[in-house]
Amino acid sequence: MTFRDTLSLALRNLGEAKLRTSLTTLGVSIGIASLAGMVSLGVGLQDQFVSRFTKSGLFDTITVTPGQDIPGGLATLARGGRRGFGARRRPERVAPSSNATPLRSELTDDTMKELAALEGVTEVYPSVRAPVEAKYGNDSEGMLAAGVPMSAKDEGGFQSITFGRFFSGDAAAECLLSLDMAKRIEQTNPQALIGKDLILIHAAPGGGNPPPAGPGAALSANAARVEVPYRIVGIIERETGPFGGTAAVSGLMIPLGRAKAIAAASRALQQALVPERASEQTYSALIVKVKHAQLAQDVEDQIRKRGFSAFSLNDALQGAKRGFIILDLVLSLIGSIALTVSSLGIMNTMVMSILERTREIGIMKAIGGSDGDIRRIFLIEASAIGLFGGLTGVVLGWLVGRVVNFGANVYIQNQGGTPGNLFSLPLWLIGGAIGFSVTISLIAGSYPAARAARLDPIRALRHD
Amino acid sequence: MTALLEIRNLKKHYQMGASTVRALDGVSLAVEPGEFVALLGTSGSGKSTLLNLIAGLDRPTEGSLRIFDRDLAQMSSEELSLHRRRNVGIIFQSFNLVATMTARENITLAMMFAGVPRAERDAAAASLLEAIGLGGRQDHRPRELSGGEQQRVAIARALSKKPHLLLAEEPTGNLDSHTSRDILTILKNLNEREGKTIIMVTHDASLAASYANRTITMLDGVIIDEQTPSRV
Repeated sequence: MTFRDTLSLALRNLGEAKLRTSLTTLGVSIGIASLAGMVSLGVGLQDQFVSRFTKSGLFDTITVTPGQDIPGGLATLARGGRRGFGARRRPERVAPSSNATPLRSELTDDTMKELAALEGVTEVYPSVRAPVEAKYGNDSEGMLAAGVPMSAKDEGGFQSITFGRFFSGDAAAECLLSLDMAKRIEQTNPQALIGKDLILIHAAPGGGNPPPAGPGAALSANAARVEVPYRIVGIIERETGPFGGTAAVSGLMIPLGRAKAIAAASRALQQALVPERASEQTYSALIVKVKHAQLAQDVEDQIRKRGFSAFSLNDALQGAKRGFIILDLVLSLIGSIALTVSSLGIMNTMVMSILERTREIGIMKAIGGSDGDIRRIFLIEASAIGLFGGLTGVVLGWLVGRVVNFGANVYIQNQGGTPGNLFSLPLWLIGGAIGFSVTISLIAGSYPAARAARLDPIRALRHD
Repeated sequence: MTALLEIRNLKKHYQMGASTVRALDGVSLAVEPGEFVALLGTSGSGKSTLLNLIAGLDRPTEGSLRIFDRDLAQMSSEELSLHRRRNVGIIFQSFNLVATMTARENITLAMMFAGVPRAERDAAAASLLEAIGLGGRQDHRPRELSGGEQQRVAIARALSKKPHLLLAEEPTGNLDSHTSRDILTILKNLNEREGKTIIMVTHDASLAASYANRTITMLDGVIIDEQTPSRV
């Protein structure tokens, strides 16, 4: 029996029981609609998430910290931020043990040059946090001012500046405040701070030779401090460093050039007090910018190969993507419940149909139909139900998704959010859903089909 | 002359609860090509069981059943279906047409299993229906046809596979006497003009005697009498 004949016979049989066939197909399409709708929601949410984060421009940034024994990851970053005896000892412990990349614990100006030479890297700058004492009116408070490069303008947390503007230049005596910080200074009307001066007391940069070490050093250190008024030019919503989401979060931001100078001066002061400490200037972290976010992973790997720890938001994104895979799985499991029920519907329909057509099966066997022919007829009937159910199910799922999406977006807009596609129906999902539907139907149909094929022709012919 | 069908000590036993039913209890029989054999007997004599075994619808418990020198008892179910498809055409008392199919479709269905291309089977079905006098009724479904017409469709279906052996189980059991004679005349013509070998099960001894050229009477699973009423 040719496939075409089997197919036409199967479709004919389905057509003979139109109501039953359409009810079963409807059951399958509801199952597929729920499955496709659920996965579509998962994919849509993931797309939303990923595209919003990609738009933020934070994905072309890699944070480099001194080498750690476990490369990469947030945990490493957290430890990398802590500089202590342990951090310095660790490389010595690891280096001789294996032929793995030797870890490097120092981030220096040379390191910056080395990393800047990597392909795809546009800029390398240090994460600098300058120790200062901030004074406004009669209140003063010691804090770390984060150095922000001019290139950070319009990126990350600086995409939208709530009040005011970005720095006018790398050496400008200007500062930005986080809204929280601004509120601490001016509780009721933080906006009024724009244009005011914040006095920062810090080590005098380029203040000639540091005073010689000795009993009078502390006194000299005091003498080397200066009070500089910094114009408050802008206030940003969130506390953020020059690069998103890393340890260098500070409520007070100054141009990177100034921060570097202050940090160097403070360091010089420290050296004067404790001369035996390392003389070379090191940084706790370097920020590497790459041309496109796609290059980030590549550059990150190269940096790791050189013995540093590297972290980019891509890592977090990878983690989030894994999370979304789990979300998708959970959603598809929920969706599968309906599909399981509808596959039982297929089985029931087929069993009923065999019962009804027992005599017909007997006739077909008597006139030369083989067990295989009979089995194939029923399997094709089942998969046809699956195919139609899958097709209509995808359409149904899409329609429901559109309606829910419309409703959700109306709500989101009312809440002041930006509307977007919560449901995404990529081609692979359409194909996958229909393929899955056919497969499930084939599985559900295989038992009844086998039963039909096994029927004893004599008994089947006697059946009324 | 080699026998088309050679049966030796054929037994078929069923288990009915605790007791064993000996539907066939040692039947030996040879059928030559071109014969018209009538199997006579009361119900339960084993004649239908014998026909089912020859048709390859059932398997014997013991003995051999050779058709064209191949033993049906040794065949796989796939081979048995090939046997039903190629060697035998079966005609039933209750016609056994597929109710949802037209006369033509019922005939082409058999050829479909044999893999005959569509155009060829449509042409064959049309000429078969014409030959049995149902030319204008090919698109009628079984319930729109009289009993005699349905049985003619069934005969056309059996013939569509061009079998050597026609098996008829009480072909006139559901028909009035006038129609019965029509059907038997068709069978007789097939036997005489086209040389089809026919084995027919019936309980009507007079019908059997007037159409078949050999009658075999069975009782309780064995052959008790064999006659050759008219050798032409």
